[in-house]
Amino acid sequence: MSLGVEEVRRIAELARLRISAREETTFASQLSEIVDYIDQLREFDGGTASQDDIHAASETADSDLPRPASATDGPLLDQFLDNAPASLDRFLLVPQVKATPGGEE
Amino acid sequence: MQAMTAEGLAAAIRSGERNAVDAVEAAFARIDEVDASVGAFLELWRDEAAERAADIDRRRDEGSPLGPLAGVPTALKDNMSLAGHELNCGSRILAGYRAPYTAGAVERLVAADAVPVGRVNMDEFAMGSSCENSALATTRNPWNPAMAPGGSSGGSAAAVAAAEVPLALGSDTGGSIRQPAAFCGVVGVKPTYGRVSRYGLVAFASSLDQIGPLARNVRDAALALGAIAGPDPRDSTCSEEPACGFLERIEDGIEGLKVGTIREVGTSALESDAARGFEQALETLARCGAELVEVSVPLVEAAVATYYVLANSEASANLARFDGSRYGHRAAGARSLAEMYTGSRSEGFGPEVKRRIILGTFALSSGYYDAYYGRAARIAGALRQQFSDAFDKAELLVTPTSPSGAFKLGERVDDPLAMYLSDVFTTPTSLAGIPGVSVPCGLDSRGLPLGLQILARPFADGTALRAARAFERETGFECRPEAVS
Repeated sequence: MSLGVEEVRRIAELARLRISAREETTFASQLSEIVDYIDQLREFDGGTASQDDIHAASETADSDLPRPASATDGPLLDQFLDNAPASLDRFLLVPQVKATPGGEE
Repeated sequence: MQAMTAEGLAAAIRSGERNAVDAVEAAFARIDEVDASVGAFLELWRDEAAERAADIDRRRDEGSPLGPLAGVPTALKDNMSLAGHELNCGSRILAGYRAPYTAGAVERLVAADAVPVGRVNMDEFAMGSSCENSALATTRNPWNPAMAPGGSSGGSAAAVAAAEVPLALGSDTGGSIRQPAAFCGVVGVKPTYGRVSRYGLVAFASSLDQIGPLARNVRDAALALGAIAGPDPRDSTCSEEPACGFLERIEDGIEGLKVGTIREVGTSALESDAARGFEQALETLARCGAELVEVSVPLVEAAVATYYVLANSEASANLARFDGSRYGHRAAGARSLAEMYTGSRSEGFGPEVKRRIILGTFALSSGYYDAYYGRAARIAGALRQQFSDAFDKAELLVTPTSPSGAFKLGERVDDPLAMYLSDVFTTPTSLAGIPGVSVPCGLDSRGLPLGLQILARPFADGTALRAARAFERETGFECRPEAVS
């Protein structure tokens, strides 16, 4: 199956990626070749197995319970915020959800 | 000191015959001497490594017991966390990111008294088979600087092959430890899925990612795996089975052991040198006393396609977190949240990462999910069952690690499918979650190393290492690349 430029642009938008017109053309041709290759999977029968079977032997998930905040969370929070592109007090700063003509501030 | 094994060096440091401080100094001297031409390291941690080494020497002098990797200089792939240190994952999108905590495997490494000396290059987000997708540096194969070191753990393999360090950690999703190990003439271990904690490893495809060691000989790789393997409650897929000593039976040989070749692993994919190398490897295994049998794993032929659907689907979800809000690169001047997401990701990710995210998003998208992701997931499950059946007929399976020795830098960068197909022998192992060891099996006609891949059933990592050691003893291969001698 071949992927056209329109299709590549649509998927890129879903993935929150902006690609140039030149990239769109290159990606469409490269991805078509890859999808063609992947389409050979139609010739194989996986039966009823599911991917969950793959690691069933090594699943050791802890019970998913909330834990109380601990004294060690403080420094970790500071380091987390140190990595943030923008923060104020203990909060991350991001642009408004709705676009405004005035820019980031 | 460069000629010493990690095991020998640690023993000498424990006994007081040598000092960790000198071992670390010697490693930095070697890095200063050759890394300008190899390009493995992205950053060196000179002061911290010297302090850690001095502490190891001090503890020994005070009579405290030291760990199994006492004073061994070790390189870390650029996707595993060491608290306080920068971590870029080979990407511009993580420029300036500092790890707030240490990865589980790295914690164990340091607890075994190894000394992390720096971080090494990789394909961006571990997506690649040549290290050329790194946004940060070019790494060259120590055997021939015109050749790729393999990938994605190309920096780890090159640093070990060039004797800059005796040991490095890499990560393997579809062959990213084994293929560069083969290209650079070193030993690389992709452990059983769940054998080593993934806590603190930047996720690519979480159901496939595993951390493992690269070393210049099998015993050092086994020693390192023993140090980093074991339970970690912070990774829910990490096995609770304690890791037993991988060195205990490593010299026992493989006399009488059934070793299988896979009928459907066609030699047609192999270059002639690699085919000859594999034939010779089978003769070597027979000389070691192995009984060679043929087994059938029909779905290996579907592995590359299955892998690229599953791995990229997971990647498209895992990499959604890189959006400019919490860490890493943020696009300037965005007027809305959506604009910030799109701008940051578009500026921060390189072309291969974008290609894979698009492919994964496509495979998961409405209307295509069943045809691609669903089908691939079912095939992966069936492939695992076929491997399990094959291991009823043979204790171990062997394949070439890669269809050829190292290819030229630049040769495949514009042809992603050709690059993907170089993973034809390593992806089945990853999908099945079983351990795979790549051990050097000689040189091709260009003088470049070839690798033999040894596979075992889940959690039989030790058996694969025992066979690799027997094979290594028989071939007597030594990693001595002339380009950096």
